[in-house]
Amino acid sequence: MIPQLVTVRAGRHRFFVPVVPVALLLSPLLLLAVLGGLIACRVYRISALGALLGVGRLLWALPGARFEIDDGHTAVRVSVR
Amino acid sequence: MNEQRRQILQMLADGKITADEAEKLLDALARERPEPAAVTMPKYLRVLVTWEDPTDGAGQINVRVPLKLLRAGVRLTSLLPPQALARANAELDKAGVPIDLTQLKPQQLEELIEHLDDVSIDVDSTDSKVKVFCE
Repeated sequence: MIPQLVTVRAGRHRFFVPVVPVALLLSPLLLLAVLGGLIACRVYRISALGALLGVGRLLWALPGARFEIDDGHTAVRVSVR
Repeated sequence: MNEQRRQILQMLADGKITADEAEKLLDALARERPEPAAVTMPKYLRVLVTWEDPTDGAGQINVRVPLKLLRAGVRLTSLLPPQALARANAELDKAGVPIDLTQLKPQQLEELIEHLDDVSIDVDSTDSKVKVFCE
């Protein structure tokens, strides 16, 4: 399953980032990024299909990832669901 | 060896049953035995770092990485072009780490990830602790 929600907590603030709507909003930029990636694959002679599959697998595996850092003064928590 | 199995073998030794009968009884016993409980495979790699700083106080880093993500990352390495691996080898060699990355096969990396669930690393020092484990 692709990530649905990224929660970012910084101090007292908490942000919820719904991944699919944000990706749709940024889809023109994402399309450009994909095109750039395909060109880079061509230049470096990497299989474009393999690269796309690999990135897709990475995205699919992201849910469940969590990163927390708390050093007394600042606390940042990022979790992907 | 459990008691029933021992009894069957004893009966065979005493000549009360034949070898065929003993085999049938042992088979029946094996079928009756419940299946072992399914072992739950770990899903995440956890890295936990805690420290005490006399000036800034206590701190903590807690990272949870899905093992699936590690597998996906490992599969991406197979896309690296040979010239990039050669450059990485040269840099590693310069840094005193003579590892030939071209010899690493994706299957070997997969095996490495598969066996990560047995890994448990604990580092304790006077003011900090590091724990790496799978859950």
